[in-house]
Amino acid sequence: MNRSALVLIGTAVATVAVSSAGYSVSGRPSPVQVSTNPQQLSVVGLPCFPGNLTLTMTNTGTESLYADLTLSPTGPLQLSRELFSSWLPAVEPDQPVSAPVEVRVPRDTHSGQYSIDLEVDRTKVTVPVQVNPLPPKGPGSNVALGEQATASSTHGNFALCGAVDGDNDSEHWDTLTGWNDGTRAVFPDTYDVALAEPTTIDRVELYTLDSIRYPAAANGLRDWDVQVRSGGGAWTTVASVRGNTAGHVTSTFTPTQADAVRILALAGNGNTYSRIVELEVYDS
Amino acid sequence: MSVRVGSTRRNFVTVTGAAAALALAGNLPDLDFAKAGATGGVDRRDPFTLGVASGDPLPDAVVIWTRLAPEPLAPFGGMDRRPVEVQWQLAEDEQFHRVVRHGTTQARPESSHSVHVDVQGLRPWRHYWYRFRVGNQVSPVGRTRTAPAYDQSVPVMSMAFASCQAWWEGWYTAYADMARREHDVVFFLGDYIYEFGIDRGVRPHSNEDYVTRQTVTLDEYRNRYASYKMDPDLQAAHASAPWVVTVDDHEVVDNWADEAHPSAPPAQFLVRRANAFRAYWEHMPLRLAQLPNGPDMQLYRRIRYGRLAEFSVLDTRQYRSDQAYGDGSKFPGPDVLDPTRTLTGDEQERWLLDGWTASQARWNVLAQQNALARLDVKDGPELLVPMDTWDGYAASRDRVLGGAHQRKIRNLVSIGGDLHRSVASDLKLDFANPDSPTVGSEFVGTSISSGLDGMDLDPGGLTLLRENPHIKYGNFQRGYVSCTITPRQWISDYRVVDRVTVPNGTVSTRAKLLVEDGRPGIRVVAGDPAPHRAPARYGAGSPATT
Repeated sequence: MNRSALVLIGTAVATVAVSSAGYSVSGRPSPVQVSTNPQQLSVVGLPCFPGNLTLTMTNTGTESLYADLTLSPTGPLQLSRELFSSWLPAVEPDQPVSAPVEVRVPRDTHSGQYSIDLEVDRTKVTVPVQVNPLPPKGPGSNVALGEQATASSTHGNFALCGAVDGDNDSEHWDTLTGWNDGTRAVFPDTYDVALAEPTTIDRVELYTLDSIRYPAAANGLRDWDVQVRSGGGAWTTVASVRGNTAGHVTSTFTPTQADAVRILALAGNGNTYSRIVELEVYDS
Repeated sequence: MSVRVGSTRRNFVTVTGAAAALALAGNLPDLDFAKAGATGGVDRRDPFTLGVASGDPLPDAVVIWTRLAPEPLAPFGGMDRRPVEVQWQLAEDEQFHRVVRHGTTQARPESSHSVHVDVQGLRPWRHYWYRFRVGNQVSPVGRTRTAPAYDQSVPVMSMAFASCQAWWEGWYTAYADMARREHDVVFFLGDYIYEFGIDRGVRPHSNEDYVTRQTVTLDEYRNRYASYKMDPDLQAAHASAPWVVTVDDHEVVDNWADEAHPSAPPAQFLVRRANAFRAYWEHMPLRLAQLPNGPDMQLYRRIRYGRLAEFSVLDTRQYRSDQAYGDGSKFPGPDVLDPTRTLTGDEQERWLLDGWTASQARWNVLAQQNALARLDVKDGPELLVPMDTWDGYAASRDRVLGGAHQRKIRNLVSIGGDLHRSVASDLKLDFANPDSPTVGSEFVGTSISSGLDGMDLDPGGLTLLRENPHIKYGNFQRGYVSCTITPRQWISDYRVVDRVTVPNGTVSTRAKLLVEDGRPGIRVVAGDPAPHRAPARYGAGSPATT
């Protein structure tokens, strides 16, 4: 028999148990209010065109608490998060605590009505999600809109899909509506968009950062090549831009079959980052 | 792992409380720990994916930790949202022949099914081994060691310290080395995780969705800890020794200061801080005394190793004044000398100085986040110092170093991190005057992985050596510091990794630095201290060789 074990009989063993106080007791109404903005969402089946929902929890009780908000989507909805947990202070006035969630659906999703069930404690909220038909991409439409982007890098403060989100206004730069690479003063950078299907294209319109505060001559893209790829082949340059100081540049070229379009960014004004507010690709 | 041993059963039966605990867990006491029947809550998936840890050793107690997370990156770690019984054992031997403490606790969903057991009634300065069980799943075995009795004379102790483990920038080869060396205790001095999003790195999965987003909410911080703690070398380092941890900035967000961060107004930032602290506590071997209360966490504390060493573990984030002159590296203008500005907060400063007054220890150690030593980072006569380190809070530093000097504190040694470089310095009463008294010695350790491979000396390191005569050693590789402390001397062994951007780097000693009892200042006993240092231009600086 082990002597030390016997000697130690009766000495204290304290277990650190975390109080569950703060989690509302069963039977009482939850002090946590849940809301979303918008209250209902519309999405389309484009890979780089998520619906954006802001989740908000507000503690209306008298004690601060930790809360777990679960998100359960119906049907084909894909969420960037299925959980939003936070400390919720009990303060006067009530302090809302928010987090974003992106909602996507596959391209082949049937249009119709779906929903996301939100639940925290026993508070439940249902967010209706309308899946709309894909926008028609006929002659004269931007075939890059909402299609899958990839980049050599993306700065942590920016969104990869920002340059195909349909917003080409540089004044909206601060709201993640553009792409900014993640490697300062290192070139080249690449920003690619995979088209939904092989398309004959003859025009690319590139909006680089050009706002009142951040003019293109100091912050925009200076030198780049427009490249296309078809059938898994190599990237082929179809247009080149050098010494640019404008915010909006149109490159036209011989109609070319393309699966994907790439901006090969070679230099930026100010030699810092590659910044694309919007990349638009048009078929011929 | 061999855990089926006959004596386990008898210990289970004979130690008071075991029967009751087992009854609660629905187990029969005559089954071995390693093969007893299942309890509810966890299926066949391994729940111990994040390893085990121990921490904050006392002469009679140590915290043991694990977290149940069969799918560490899934919501709630892949656990159902209900409490789960967890059994634990602590033994005097690695084979668990002599189990001296054991019990059952609950892993609760509101704590991410983490388990923190403050195992008490232990004997001082002893090795113990511990493990957990859920159902028929048994955790890896952790090794730990209690602290010596407060009045004990300790002939030698081994200690390691580390910081800054950017997961995507390197493999944790340094931790594998640390684990092999089996220290008596490990100090972690901040930046256990990084909160910002990244989109590429040297490791597989460096661009997965879960790493591209910055952490703000509690689920995101929990997920970030899980993604780091899945690393087997980090788990091995935790399992090899008790850790004593503190935070720096990236456990919350880059360069935060008290309630201030430019990303959000204070009320909103404090919610983020509360989320960050909660996830931190859940994933660290900390006591209930350190459990955060919303955005507040009592993290500064004292760890004593008999008469040999006393470690004052600081929190230099939660109570600091906002960075002067907009942060960055600046000329130290009058704001840094403003006595109303503080890095520690008044209460922590008083606690530190009062503790020193009462200390009987041979070595009085400041375990803090960055560098106490002045770091002039600009070549030439112009003086530029970082506003985020003690340099930006020179009045605060003067009170600490001056306070130590006034109190004639025996053998003041500072250990730090944050810089992603190794810097060893004499701590001067007045850094502007090389002739002023040396009041202590400082070892700043490099990063485990942050900053990629690095090199022996980069241009910034050369500048530091040229501009700061109190700096005796610099290196810009990755690694950690392994220390051997005796009553006569303190030896810091700077372990560096040749490459962290590949999984099979090799670890070696770059330099051995020495501090002798009663003789403040760094002496180099092995390794080329500063191969590129310009000839001394300061006259009074003593040669940094022996």
